[in-house]
Amino acid sequence: MNNVVEVFELFLFNIIVYNIPLLYGTTGEIMIEKSGSLNLGVEGTMAIGAVAGFLFGARFDSLLVACIVSFIAAGIVGLVFSFLTVTLQANQNVTGLTITTFGVAFYYFIGNAVSNGEKGWPKFSGTQLDAQSQALNIPGLSSIPFVGKALFSHGILVYVGVLIAILMWLYFNKTVPGLKMRSIGENPAAADSLGINVTAYKYIHIIVGSGIMGLGGLYMALNMGGTFEGSNCWINGYGWIAIALVIFANWSPAKALLGTLLFGFFNTLRVQNAALAYAFPNVLGWLTKIPSHFFSALPFIITLIVLILSSMTSKGRSGEPQAIGRSYYREDR
Amino acid sequence: MRKYHLVRRSNPRMTTTILLYINGLLLSLLVGAILLYALDIDPFEYYGKMFTMGLIGNKYGFKTIEGLLKVFVPLLITSVALSISFKMRFWNIGGEGEFLVGAICASIIAFNSTGMPNVVTIVLMCLAAMLSSGIIGVAIAALKVKFNTNETLMTLMLNYIMLYVIRYIGETKADWNFFLRADSERPKFGTFPDSAIMGGIQIGKFKLLWAVIIAIVLTAIVYVYLKYTKRGYEINVVGDSSATAKYAGMNVGRIVLRTMFLSSALIGLAAALTVSSAGTISDTITNDVGWTGIIVAWLGKLSIPAVFIISILISILQYGCQAAATSYPAIDSNFADLMQGIILVFALIADFEANFKLVETAEAIQRRKERKQKRIERKQTVTGKAEKTAEATKEGTTNE
Amino acid sequence: MEYAIELKGISKSFGPVAANKNINLSLVKGEILALLGENGSGKTTLMNMLSGIYMPDSGSIFINGKKVSINSPEDSGKLGIGMVHQHFKLVERFTALENIRIGMRNVKSVLIRNNVRKNIEETAAKFGFNIDLDKQVSNMSVSEKQTLEILKVLCYGAKIIILDEPTAVLTVQEIERLFAVLRKMKEEGHSIIIITHKLNEVMSISDRVAILRHGEYIDTVVTKETNEKALTELMVGHKIELNIERPIMEKTHPLLEIRNLTVKNDEGMIAVDHMNFYIRGGEMLGVAGIAGSGQKELCEAIAGLRKIEDGLMIHEGKSIVGLSPKDVLAHGVAMSFIPEDRLGMGLSPSLSITDNIILKNYNDSKGIFVNRKNGRAEAQKVIERFEIVTPSTETPVRRLSGGNVQKVLLGREIKSGPNVLITAYPVRGLDINSSYRIYDILNEQKKKGVGILFVGEDLDVMLALCDKILVMCHGALQGVVNSDNTTKEEIGLMMTGSLNIVDRYGKTAGIAKDSVITDEEGKAE
Repeated sequence: MNNVVEVFELFLFNIIVYNIPLLYGTTGEIMIEKSGSLNLGVEGTMAIGAVAGFLFGARFDSLLVACIVSFIAAGIVGLVFSFLTVTLQANQNVTGLTITTFGVAFYYFIGNAVSNGEKGWPKFSGTQLDAQSQALNIPGLSSIPFVGKALFSHGILVYVGVLIAILMWLYFNKTVPGLKMRSIGENPAAADSLGINVTAYKYIHIIVGSGIMGLGGLYMALNMGGTFEGSNCWINGYGWIAIALVIFANWSPAKALLGTLLFGFFNTLRVQNAALAYAFPNVLGWLTKIPSHFFSALPFIITLIVLILSSMTSKGRSGEPQAIGRSYYREDR
Repeated sequence: MRKYHLVRRSNPRMTTTILLYINGLLLSLLVGAILLYALDIDPFEYYGKMFTMGLIGNKYGFKTIEGLLKVFVPLLITSVALSISFKMRFWNIGGEGEFLVGAICASIIAFNSTGMPNVVTIVLMCLAAMLSSGIIGVAIAALKVKFNTNETLMTLMLNYIMLYVIRYIGETKADWNFFLRADSERPKFGTFPDSAIMGGIQIGKFKLLWAVIIAIVLTAIVYVYLKYTKRGYEINVVGDSSATAKYAGMNVGRIVLRTMFLSSALIGLAAALTVSSAGTISDTITNDVGWTGIIVAWLGKLSIPAVFIISILISILQYGCQAAATSYPAIDSNFADLMQGIILVFALIADFEANFKLVETAEAIQRRKERKQKRIERKQTVTGKAEKTAEATKEGTTNE
Repeated sequence: MEYAIELKGISKSFGPVAANKNINLSLVKGEILALLGENGSGKTTLMNMLSGIYMPDSGSIFINGKKVSINSPEDSGKLGIGMVHQHFKLVERFTALENIRIGMRNVKSVLIRNNVRKNIEETAAKFGFNIDLDKQVSNMSVSEKQTLEILKVLCYGAKIIILDEPTAVLTVQEIERLFAVLRKMKEEGHSIIIITHKLNEVMSISDRVAILRHGEYIDTVVTKETNEKALTELMVGHKIELNIERPIMEKTHPLLEIRNLTVKNDEGMIAVDHMNFYIRGGEMLGVAGIAGSGQKELCEAIAGLRKIEDGLMIHEGKSIVGLSPKDVLAHGVAMSFIPEDRLGMGLSPSLSITDNIILKNYNDSKGIFVNRKNGRAEAQKVIERFEIVTPSTETPVRRLSGGNVQKVLLGREIKSGPNVLITAYPVRGLDINSSYRIYDILNEQKKKGVGILFVGEDLDVMLALCDKILVMCHGALQGVVNSDNTTKEEIGLMMTGSLNIVDRYGKTAGIAKDSVITDEEGKAE
């Protein structure tokens, strides 16, 4: 029985610990899409945030530095995206994909260069950075049976991620700048006629959204123990799942939180199906028969179905900004 | 007060545009050089190695060309195919997924072709791949036409679903799974029987695969199709203004379906040629052509001849990086992707420069004139002596 | 007298076309000024310079006696100017409250608070608005949206309020309610400019009327001291003798007969309302009406581009109802419509002249290839015949000047050899010479026995060029007049809905004596 509880606890714990980066990527992308731009560069932005944040964090041996640098590095990527798509009116799809290609390549480029450098790749285990990103056991709460460990014994970045999602929800729904930002995503000409600075709002939200993605990348780096292997990127497709999750969450940061748990559930099921089947042979024995690839593909399959169904009924995607993906050129009005 | 505002150029000049692009390319190389220099690598030497792909002084130079062409063929066909759908403003970013569908279906034929004649097998592989990819493309186009479902996101999801399908095939040992080697304990993709391997023309030691010829002929056909046939004409009109197309009595929905079938089927064909040339399949068989193809199509501004040239350049970049990686362990083939990103950014800037110009606002001009007027007034109050000296210096400068 | 707005010598041109020429206009504090003028007389352009969308090329603007420069909508708002645009600028997904909130400048709080709601409710109550602040705009009726737009500018503290054709989309009762609000606003000390075409409205709501014509300022008169007839004369001006040829041809039987035609617009409202008319061969029938009276929908319905709700369309004895655009063309009915942006409809801007010329018949040649050899020859012919200025037949249409673009479009329609030619605004935005060339082209067709429907903007041109003129107002027929037996004033009154002469001559206008449609058929539909 004890074993069963452990498996259950671990399962819940893993859902959160391995999938919070999705939340960062998704909330960052929601912010960008709500302000009217479709950025397909999530994967690349996260990769750059990850590698820059980790290397500087390791150099200064501080989690705070790591966070700041990854936010700034990813923010610079966002700045490039805004410059190209807002100021130069370049195609958003192509620019976003380029950022992904570039970002992932940059990750390997820097990674290889540092690994082959004089000092080699910085060590992670045993550093201050490692210690600071370790789990904080919140006294009292973390000892609640069943869910305590799963919910309240994580590293600080898990809580920051959740906090960002909540703050973003408040920002969107309860504040005036949030309202103004959403009006740009819906109808930039109307916003412009009210004297809202469309360009500035787009720039700021793309940069901040990208910065948030960067933090998600950093989290992945820390979670992977910060080791650079040169064959597999830390981000490993999470950026793309985040784009899918935005649709699934209907462009709401609050639903992104739930969506992260759901997508995380599948993801964890993939990793832990054997353990679950072993713990509950009668109930969950069939789990081993389902290929892990199915769980990997599930977020994309679900999103595809959501996309198709919602376009058929034209109801579900009420959160989708109306002017997404289109450039705004004042003199075209 | 705004001093300047942007105005669309009505008549961008061809030569200026090309110069701007070349300028952008040089700037990208410069940025690449700075990155290399930062890693203590001599950029000239590296670029030298990269662009020659280790051809010079190499006994096995023909191998290099063969390798380069293996990168080039799928990239060219995919880029051409994507250009067709982009021309229609249909954002098919599902090149990866469509390629994988085609590759899997072609492989089904290939693995079961033992004993069949080579030509028949390869033709069947191509047909299977084209049909399967084409159907996927049509399904997506149909959803777009009927329900206006976002095609960008649909094709994006498709890419990843297909990626996991092929990984599943490649990592699952089972009786039905004829994709895998029977003699290996660990799951591993098998190699095609000889009947499914692409042949070619032997020129000395160099073997020119049929795939290369097919790709080039196909590109020419697509060029003619887009430029000279009625169907190509329709694609151009629909892409330019679908209101006009409707006004002219075109059935826009049908044109979109047909064109997406063509675009995806071509990507399927690229996949069939690739697996047949490689003699096997893997989950990295696409070599990211679905993504790179988008960049190539965009850099070529969807013009088929330009896409052809840019495919060659990007292939050299990619293959050259692989070749150079042998001498520079610190830099692997990802440097090519890095360069692609930088090149595209500079190309977008060049494109903008070619199409827009900064114009002074009426008010700014007026203020400038007022200032000038004031300056002249001030000058007139200055003594004649000062004026003379000014003139003298002026003469002096003109004499120089 | 204290002025809220004074405009002095304002000019603005778009390319070669002057929209406003040296305009002087004043708005007295606390008055309602009606701005009256035909289509294209420059009213909206002038007002957009006050709302910060355009900047004047020259001239100066004084607000409350102070010279100002308005560079953006924000500047305009800060000066206390609020504009209610003809096309509403609202975020459909937002509630009324949210739409108002995003433009508020003077509220410091970052959070969306309820004190704002209270202020808005107070303002709404003060002016007698009945509005649900939590209703989403997408669920609102047109009149609710307009109320919201007006409430919006009032909440931003605008003292000068400009309304661009506010009554065009409203019912009679809604107009009454709007006018009550405007009078209330006037009482509260607001100064109002209202753009409208409807003379009865001008008479009932305004204190003074300013008239623009062809981008020029004509006069400002006190409403009490004038009448509808005098205003119409000022608006349309005295008849200008244009030296446009009008060949008189022997007319044939009716080629195209339209009976009881009813068509809806994109918003699902009735745009063409039981329209009757016919065109004979060798005749040019003008269509006059205020912009947006259903001209576009009428043209599209005949060309097969828009579904009709009701009615008959008979071309040479055969019904063309429900045919595809291609089949309508094959019947011999060709349509060219010049939209406001000139390139939107019927042309593919990035494609060459040749490719645009063959747009409608590319599929007629045999084989899979487009016959560009013939196309080029046709393009060359069109270029020569209509004197199109272009480097070659392969130049993209986008690069041509406006007049040449229009010639390409018209040339293609004429080339197909139709016997009914529908042309809407063919001289839109053209200079004099190009316009005359287009008139000549149309007359040549008329001489060949083609029946022409000419949808136009300039009454002088229509009077000179057309044999008869059909006048429509809000999609309904107001009458058909003979160009030689009418005056601009009469047409002006009909356009503004003040005069209906459908039954004047003892027979219903728009129904031919020798119609192929029997009475039963005409009624049955």
